Amino acid sequence: MNRRMLAALAVVTLALPPLLPERHLATYVLLGLAATVTAGVSMLMGYAGQVSLGQAAFYAIGGYAAGLLTVHGVPTVAGLLAAPVVAALAAVLLGAPLLRLRGHHLAFATLALQLILLSLLGQGDWAGGAIGLQGIPQLPVGGDLGYAYLIWVVLAVVLVICRNVVASRAGRGLRASATSEIAAAANGVAIARYRLAVFALSAAFAGLAGGIYAFYLGYLAPGSFPILLSIEFVVMAVVGGIGTIAGPVVGATVIVLLVQALNTLGTQPGMPGYAPSVLSYAVYALLLVATVLYLPRGIVPAVLDGARVRRGRPSIWGK
Amino acid sequence: MNAVEVTGLTVRYSGATALDGVDLHVGEGELVALIGPNGAGKSTLVKALSGLVRPAAGQVTVRGRLAQVPEGREMFGDLSVDDNLRLGGWRNGRHGRDTTEIYRLLPGLDGLRRNRAGLLSGGQQQMVAIGRALMARPDVLVVDELSLGLAPLVVTELVGHLRTLNAERGLAVLLIEQNARLALGLCRRAYVLEAGRVVLHGPAGDLARDPRVTAAYLGGDVTAEGPAR
Amino acid sequence: MSDFIGYLLTGLGIGAGYALVASGLVAIYRVTRVVNFAQGAFAVVAAMLTASLLGAGLPHGLAELAAVLTAALAGLLVGAVAIGRPGTTPGTSLIVTLGLAVFAYAVEIVIWGDQPRSFPGLPGVAVVGGARLQAHYLLILGVTVPVFVAMAAFFARTDLGKALSACASNPYAARVVGIDTRRMGLFAFALGGALGGLAGVLTTPVQQVTFDSDVTLIVNGLAAAVLGALTRPVVALAGGLLLGVAQTMIAGYGAGAYQLEVALVLMLTAMIVQAARRGAVPEMAR
Repeated sequence: MNRRMLAALAVVTLALPPLLPERHLATYVLLGLAATVTAGVSMLMGYAGQVSLGQAAFYAIGGYAAGLLTVHGVPTVAGLLAAPVVAALAAVLLGAPLLRLRGHHLAFATLALQLILLSLLGQGDWAGGAIGLQGIPQLPVGGDLGYAYLIWVVLAVVLVICRNVVASRAGRGLRASATSEIAAAANGVAIARYRLAVFALSAAFAGLAGGIYAFYLGYLAPGSFPILLSIEFVVMAVVGGIGTIAGPVVGATVIVLLVQALNTLGTQPGMPGYAPSVLSYAVYALLLVATVLYLPRGIVPAVLDGARVRRGRPSIWGK
Repeated sequence: MNAVEVTGLTVRYSGATALDGVDLHVGEGELVALIGPNGAGKSTLVKALSGLVRPAAGQVTVRGRLAQVPEGREMFGDLSVDDNLRLGGWRNGRHGRDTTEIYRLLPGLDGLRRNRAGLLSGGQQQMVAIGRALMARPDVLVVDELSLGLAPLVVTELVGHLRTLNAERGLAVLLIEQNARLALGLCRRAYVLEAGRVVLHGPAGDLARDPRVTAAYLGGDVTAEGPAR
Repeated sequence: MSDFIGYLLTGLGIGAGYALVASGLVAIYRVTRVVNFAQGAFAVVAAMLTASLLGAGLPHGLAELAAVLTAALAGLLVGAVAIGRPGTTPGTSLIVTLGLAVFAYAVEIVIWGDQPRSFPGLPGVAVVGGARLQAHYLLILGVTVPVFVAMAAFFARTDLGKALSACASNPYAARVVGIDTRRMGLFAFALGGALGGLAGVLTTPVQQVTFDSDVTLIVNGLAAAVLGALTRPVVALAGGLLLGVAQTMIAGYGAGAYQLEVALVLMLTAMIVQAARRGAVPEMAR
């Protein structure tokens, strides 16, 4: 993507929040949060070759860290800062044994982690149990509009971090290791450390988003972080394009807007009560399956390739 | 009429050309050798003959049935010798699973029926691989790297079996070998494959004396030995 | 003592369900190297369909059979999408089955709604060694054990079973001898569907299902299957039974809320130990 397009995009997305009605402003915030988490998932999948089916666990850890601290009197800003730190720490502790696993083993291990966390949260009175955590204070950002700009900045920072990680030596080593285990084996110790670092970083992104989510909504419950949410992040990453910087944003935008539209459709008079959830399940499923089978690199690379061919830049057919 | 007729066979893997316009034939009941260095395209040719890769151009015509003894023997390691053999007759359906004939042809296998194929010695596995291919009741047997990793005595025994099958049953054999001396000694006709092309072909005896072949594949031994005898 | 026997038999009944799910996972994984995330959905579909068919007046036995056959068909469909396109890697297929598991939610809610479903099983109470338990638990065991025996015979004695084992053992050699490995993979998916369906049909009378019960089923089934590295059906059976008994004992003697954690921690430990032992095999890269 070139600089001018990027600047235009920044201007549009910055100008948007004040123009949006309240209902759509909430979508804007949730989209930004989803894109932030997805950026981490995409980095994990694309550069470390790891599928996480439990990323919502770190989203939850961040949320609960921020919520619990501030409910007990810690200033909100400190709570917000603690969210990514606690999530990253949890990722380092859990990642040390877990990242020995590969492929479907790791996928199921992350899923298991989230299930354990949800069960612990549901049974822990200290976390409000199944009812959840109420009365989390607001961040002093001046209402919903402030949250919109806060998440804009957070997402921008996260994307810049992703870009730098990808361009770094560690990032190049990881990319090699994601595609070739021989390259990984040749540099085993360093790769294992990079993997853990990316795992922790992606957890920090999720934790930070979870922290903002907690303040924004004002309450948390284990039910806010279902397994399906983790799968949703994977869908967004895959649909947008794994291992690209713009992919998570595009993926999150496509999915969130589509689900929003279907929600509107599903709550029309005359539609059955289950319509919204059925439509969103079907959309996640079909988009995920269609993308991995027919557009395995996702939307962003496909569009970029298309643009290149149309503009007559060097393609594989020469000329 | 030829048992195998290959004309202008070209195979590409994602752009790279593995075989480039190969012409080759194996007559009915004929023993033919194909020699060449690693990466010349020999295994690709075997796969093309068995229909496991699709050619980009050219034609493969097989009269009757072709069976393959794959490189590395490719046992069903968890299964018994008997099961390995029976699976060899998969294409022949329910009535093609009778192994009696194979144990008669390869008596060395008889005592191993119940043994797990994965635990056998290399020579025994090669015998199972041959038996498994014979279960398909082939008219042509393609043997990919018969001698690889096997002791000379074992190879001699296996070659003996191939000779017998050829002489008594009229089984045509295409022997693909790194061991050029073995291949040229057993077969009447031979091809040399290099970088995906047939660079030489002719009677095995002529090729064995061809200086290009002796230098590259026989370590100059034939000419060195020739005058001394 | 009678408590213990009661918990043991109940646990074995629950565990038999896990073992069936696990053996379905193993059947599919061995032949295709795909971990089928939709395995739990087969059980849910079969259970809900049985409830509907019984409600429509079909007799017991017939309703269950129809449901298991439908689950087999569902397995075939999942397989067709997951491995139907040539060149699909096992990693991609895993994501596809994940998508299809979510798609199953949509289908299930449209047909059956999002409320829990159940149906009556074998009525009555059995007394074994002084322990009283629902007779249906004995039925679960009475069906599961012969099914496993039949499966063992199928893989060891029949040509089709051996061809499936051949694909598991050496897919390349299977193609060399002329076995259509893709068709065998589809067959394995259908078999996995039937086994998952059977698990759902058998256990629903003692444990009601909702559309998202598949997560519990797949987690427990996978925990059992992973003990045998996803390739050994006998270990999967033992693992499933063990898991069922352990969970029932834990629930019976106190910490009832931590049943799922037992399975999860067991699965994690087994996977990490296996990975440490063989030095992290790159599954996805294959």
